[in-house]
Amino acid sequence: MKIHRIARNSSIGERRDAGFRFSPGDVARKSLATFALWLLALFSPPIGTAAESFQFADGEVVAFVGNTVIERAQDYGHVETALALAAGAGKSVVFRNLGWSGDSVYGDARSYFGPPQEGFDRLQKAITELKPTVIISCYGAVAALTEGDGWTEAKAAAGHSGMDRFTFGYGRLLDGLTKSAGGTLREIVLLSPPPLENLPLPMPDQAKRNQRLSEYRDAIAELARKRGHRMVDLFAMMGGDGLSEGKLSSPRLTENGVHYTPEGYRKMAQEITRGLGLPVLDYSSGSASAENLREAIVVKNRLFFHRWRPANETYLFLFRKREQGQNAKEIPMFDPLIAAEEKKISALVSTVLKEINP
Amino acid sequence: MNSSTAVLPKYFMNSMRPKSKVWLAVFLGLSLAGTGFAQNGLKDIPDTSIEAAIAGFKLPEGAKINLFAGDPDINKPVQMNWDAQGRLWMVSSPLYPHIKPGQQEADRVLILEDADNDGVAEKVTTFADGLYIPTAVIPGDGGAYVANSTEVLFLKDTDGDGKADSREVILSGFGTEDTHHLLHTFRHGPEGLLYMNQSIYIHSHVETPYGVRRLLGGGMWHLRPETREMEVFYKGLVNPWGTVFDRWGQAFATDGAGSEGINFVFPRAVFKTSPGASRTLAGLSPGQPKHCGLAIVSGRYAPDAWQGNFLAPDFRGHRVNRFTLEESGSGYVATQIEDLVSSTHRAFRPIDVQLGPDGAIYIADWYNPIIQHGEVDFRDPRRDHQHGRIWRISFDGREAVQRPNIVGAAVGDLLAMLKAEEDWTRHFAKQELRARGEVAIEPALSEWVNDLAAGDTHAKLEALWLYQHVNLLNQELLRELLASDNAHARTAALRTLYFRHHEVEDAFSLASQATTDDAPRVRLWALSVLAQLDHPETVKVALGVLTKETDENLNFALWSICREHESRWLPAAESGNPFADMEQYLFAVRALGRPVGVDQVLEALSGGELDSDAVPQVTDFVSRVGNVEQLARLFAYGQAEGRTEAEKIAVIDALTNATKLRKLKPGGDLATVSSFLVGAEGATERFGKAAALSGLWKVEAARGPIEKAFLKADSDEALARAAMEGLRALGGPKSVQLFEETARDKSLSYLQRSLGAIGRAKMNPGAGATVAIEVLKESPDGKDPAGIYDAFLATRQGPAALAKALSSAKLPQEIALSGVHKASSAATSPQGLIKAIQKAADLKPMKSQLTAAEMEAMMRAVAEHGDPHRGEEVYRRAQLMCMTCHAIGGVGGVIGPDLVSIGSSAPVDYLVESLIDPSKKIKEGYHTTLVTTKKGDAFAGAVASENGDEVVIRDAAGQEQRIAKTDIANTTVSPVSLMPPGLTASLREDEFVDLVRFLSELGKEGAFKTSPKRFVRNWQAMMPHDSTRDAIGHYGMEIFVDPKVDYQWTPAYADVSGGLPTDELPKMVGRGANRYGVGRFVIAVEQAGSIGLKLPKTRGVTLFIDAKGIDLPEDAGETVVPLTLAEGKTTVTLVGLLDPNLDELRVEIVSMADAEKAARVSFPPLSEW
Repeated sequence: MKIHRIARNSSIGERRDAGFRFSPGDVARKSLATFALWLLALFSPPIGTAAESFQFADGEVVAFVGNTVIERAQDYGHVETALALAAGAGKSVVFRNLGWSGDSVYGDARSYFGPPQEGFDRLQKAITELKPTVIISCYGAVAALTEGDGWTEAKAAAGHSGMDRFTFGYGRLLDGLTKSAGGTLREIVLLSPPPLENLPLPMPDQAKRNQRLSEYRDAIAELARKRGHRMVDLFAMMGGDGLSEGKLSSPRLTENGVHYTPEGYRKMAQEITRGLGLPVLDYSSGSASAENLREAIVVKNRLFFHRWRPANETYLFLFRKREQGQNAKEIPMFDPLIAAEEKKISALVSTVLKEINP
Repeated sequence: MNSSTAVLPKYFMNSMRPKSKVWLAVFLGLSLAGTGFAQNGLKDIPDTSIEAAIAGFKLPEGAKINLFAGDPDINKPVQMNWDAQGRLWMVSSPLYPHIKPGQQEADRVLILEDADNDGVAEKVTTFADGLYIPTAVIPGDGGAYVANSTEVLFLKDTDGDGKADSREVILSGFGTEDTHHLLHTFRHGPEGLLYMNQSIYIHSHVETPYGVRRLLGGGMWHLRPETREMEVFYKGLVNPWGTVFDRWGQAFATDGAGSEGINFVFPRAVFKTSPGASRTLAGLSPGQPKHCGLAIVSGRYAPDAWQGNFLAPDFRGHRVNRFTLEESGSGYVATQIEDLVSSTHRAFRPIDVQLGPDGAIYIADWYNPIIQHGEVDFRDPRRDHQHGRIWRISFDGREAVQRPNIVGAAVGDLLAMLKAEEDWTRHFAKQELRARGEVAIEPALSEWVNDLAAGDTHAKLEALWLYQHVNLLNQELLRELLASDNAHARTAALRTLYFRHHEVEDAFSLASQATTDDAPRVRLWALSVLAQLDHPETVKVALGVLTKETDENLNFALWSICREHESRWLPAAESGNPFADMEQYLFAVRALGRPVGVDQVLEALSGGELDSDAVPQVTDFVSRVGNVEQLARLFAYGQAEGRTEAEKIAVIDALTNATKLRKLKPGGDLATVSSFLVGAEGATERFGKAAALSGLWKVEAARGPIEKAFLKADSDEALARAAMEGLRALGGPKSVQLFEETARDKSLSYLQRSLGAIGRAKMNPGAGATVAIEVLKESPDGKDPAGIYDAFLATRQGPAALAKALSSAKLPQEIALSGVHKASSAATSPQGLIKAIQKAADLKPMKSQLTAAEMEAMMRAVAEHGDPHRGEEVYRRAQLMCMTCHAIGGVGGVIGPDLVSIGSSAPVDYLVESLIDPSKKIKEGYHTTLVTTKKGDAFAGAVASENGDEVVIRDAAGQEQRIAKTDIANTTVSPVSLMPPGLTASLREDEFVDLVRFLSELGKEGAFKTSPKRFVRNWQAMMPHDSTRDAIGHYGMEIFVDPKVDYQWTPAYADVSGGLPTDELPKMVGRGANRYGVGRFVIAVEQAGSIGLKLPKTRGVTLFIDAKGIDLPEDAGETVVPLTLAEGKTTVTLVGLLDPNLDELRVEIVSMADAEKAARVSFPPLSEW
């Protein structure tokens, strides 16, 4: 009996794992409670244009913008935990995650009933309200994942194709963010998207898409150089340049070759911190306080999610607000809850830092 | 994550009562802080006890119901799925519809176990909590997939303690713009794919390892978990909810907010509301209530008559509907039969239905007096967040089916289960084998397949699916099934090829052969497969389906592939015809809708290569994309000798649309358009259209005949109206003079004068206003049938102009009231005009709100004194216009929502409020879009379709208006309901109370639930005619079916019970005091054979089938008239001698038990009579 084996979207015929059973990837586990924290203190210089290392100021408001890689970071809290600790004692830093799955530099995924421009405007409005002092932006993956120009349907992209479609759009987005944030904005940091992984069959070989991703990384670096932004090459730091066709990624840090597991985010958090030239604190072996801090950050992120991107917007704010607009008053009621959680976070940051430097 | 385990008592929980009272008390306390609106309704909260729920159920004979699991052990079930162990998984969301600040995300996944097989779950385990409005759960792949708002989670219990300890986000990017449309309803297909639905307001953007995938609006996704390939299967539907696969893998869906019953869904199908769709498909049962969930009865346990029945919960009507499906062309037809269950309990909300491992039927009951969350406040205290039940329906006297032992069974035993009669067993045996993996099941599977008998077709299909489950393709099996004698097997094999064509070298050739298969559904799937392939000749091959009969599904699929693969054929089509004939060529270029091939098509038409059947398509095509020369060719074609009336009209329509929408006129001399005006007698439609076109083109030579026609309003209003449009378009002082003189000429009829005023107002609202008021003042009955007010409301400047003129004028109150009604329901909501009319007639503004105390008194009056039967009479009064816009169970107008189950879904205060102030709450899908053109014309209605060049608006009268996008100044969604306020203002209070009571009974168990029996509900009633008094004496009743008499007919609708009240019929004058009511209806016979017409009694009734009189027994009771019908349409006419004995005409279509062959008939829409 002739049975055709799967080879779809994979160019590696010989790499066969016939016994494959779907099993989900790495999972977040509370580590055993050893209270040691290591200060790795690896001060590698940031990659990009700004030579000096990044410093958080007191009262900093940091906005994250980007696609799935940013959006999912809020579920795990590692990136914020690492950066909050790296900011150092006595500094109040507030992080707000405005990531949106599937988003492009033209705002495709953020639009609801209108064209991509509506999504673009939604992000700008959020930035205007937030008034961030620092924006950390990670775009490019959606464009790189997709062959051709079909990754955006924005009118603003008309007449731009290939890499120009992306760089033109990214420039336009950064201009918009700068304008929307206003005078308080002091810096925009560009992250290149992290690499894809090659997972065992039947998952596809991602060498080609990684190659495209590295081209986008180069374009982002060039854009950062031209515009004078600091750039963190997450693609390289997460091992993207070492990936080749037919070679399985190890250790596995993504759940589907694209999206990072909690472990993956833990590493990504370190690399972003390192990339900014900040001290990298490894809390991976677990401190109760550090874990409490991360959990408080996740709680705060959920509250903020309900605040800035509530469900039922059609009824609360859009064309059916006549029916439920009276309930829109509840949405700002998340503010005091977020503030209370921030207080908790701030106290936990101090505790964790004291544990490191008694 | 927390887990809790509860042991349930084996019997219905008597302890519920005290608890529910505490709960009620808590809510009463809360309500004090709420609004008056909410307080009123609190009295409406039904008894929450299990006993009360059980007391409310009504079941078919032989069926019984018991509680499988209920509150407090479970609550708020949203979706449920079984696992191979026979445990029932469900998601529970007390959080719905919206999280409160400070509220925990605490929704749960529960597992319900009935290990001892007694039909009651004795164990409930919390598998996961901390969830945020989860709307789907399905166990599989060693864990469970859960829809959690923006994300899909994979939850897994890694240490075997029964609760999830691993939580992984596997997909993200699903929209949450509306929590009752979130990603939901997960089902596994027969081949192991995971299918997921999302609904109208949701916009999703998901990054997969293969690129970003987007779905805007409703539709169904499919995901292969092990590769993470995720694609869209179909798009649209308002709230696609139920998903089910039949024994052969065909998929069906129900719509929780649509009204077309069960939908046959296939790849790339697009249904209504899909954003940007320029073409959509319809469901199988238009006029049905909304359905959520869908299941098919199978297995030895259910009674034989139930086999293959489709079960669809009507959550608004507190019942689960039952349908049978029959194949028809590439699709199906559905027939509704007796309900599976219905309830008088107002909080019974069946939202999911599944067959269980024991063959019984399980129903998830969301339990809520309030549904949805658009119209009723999120925080309305009547909203239930505590209860919820799973009910189980079993059958008396049926032998229990032993629950199959699947988990841990030997591979050989599992393979044997693939031949089981129960869908459940086959499904979970495959799930279990999938879990074992390829290595574990081979070579046993190959051997099992080899041992199958040649005719064991379905088992072979199950094997093919099992290979798919473990991500393999068995090509030999695929080819064997493709060559099967069984059309279902060929269809199913193509379905497999659709998903796995990458692995089949000759996929193109296999699909090509299937395009000319004898079975239409095989041809449909051939098109689906072709659409997946990147072969250069996919379209050429696909067009081959035109060589056989096509239907709507096939035409849609063909249209779709022509567009999707245009780059493969377009270059060749620009210079020649790459297809087999011009019919195929015309289909392809029309599908594109761009100026390609117009000359070739025109050439083929005049050269006879396309026959006259193609004329409507060619004219429409040239109108949309032709240039001036091509339009001139079409113009000449229309004027040539020997054209039929239909051909001329088609050409005029095409030229009109091109002029209006594309600003293009034919090149050359336009004056010859007058030739279309010749011979107006009996050609009203053509004359009217030609007049309008002459005006549009400013052909002065046409003015004479048009003026003449304009003055004939009394004999042919439609013609006069068209002439008026022509004159308006021609413009100039001559038109002004004629309009003004006509309006002011008191010797003319009110109608004729109205048309004059309208014409003048349309030319210039300012000047027209003065004339219009003069005419309005003299309305004989206080009505404005010609639409003078409408003419002002339809332009930007109109309302202000009329208001200004009214400031120095007086109006009689009656006609002013008509104006207020019309202006109040206009999308522009012209407050200035409304005030001006009120002032001119000294009208007091209508009360549009009741105080809390008034509302409370009203609700009490409805409950205590309201008479639903009298209320139905009120509802049916012509002047209330309810039936003009609303249908009940598909019977009536289509402008407003169907009210078939409004009583069981809407609280009484909502009904009262909606009658008094219709704009306060507007049903989804019934918002008015207001399009204003640069010229100042305003069009209000629903967006029927839209593409890059034009928008089509369907107005309140059901008319469609095409508007060129370049003409549009702006488009807004109006906050105003199309339903005029104050329609009920003329009612006495007791009548209003009766009306509300009637509405509140609709859909509830009782006299006002639409019966699934096939009563004839849509009729036409004959209008009085001068000739009847004399003719009836000479020729008898036959005169009513005499085709030579120009009888006029008006739509008439049966009441909720299915009868047509005779006192509402126009009275035909006979001899002496005799008066007759005449009703007729049309049945479409899709398959020749026999049916019966059942009449309740025969006295005074005469029956005609087409023109042939049928002998009825005199003065008999219930009578069934057997009919043998040929394929086609048949008109049935009933003449009733009006006397108190005959209070209604009533006909039920029944099947004849002793008939050799049953006819399959349907009721076509009025437009097809």
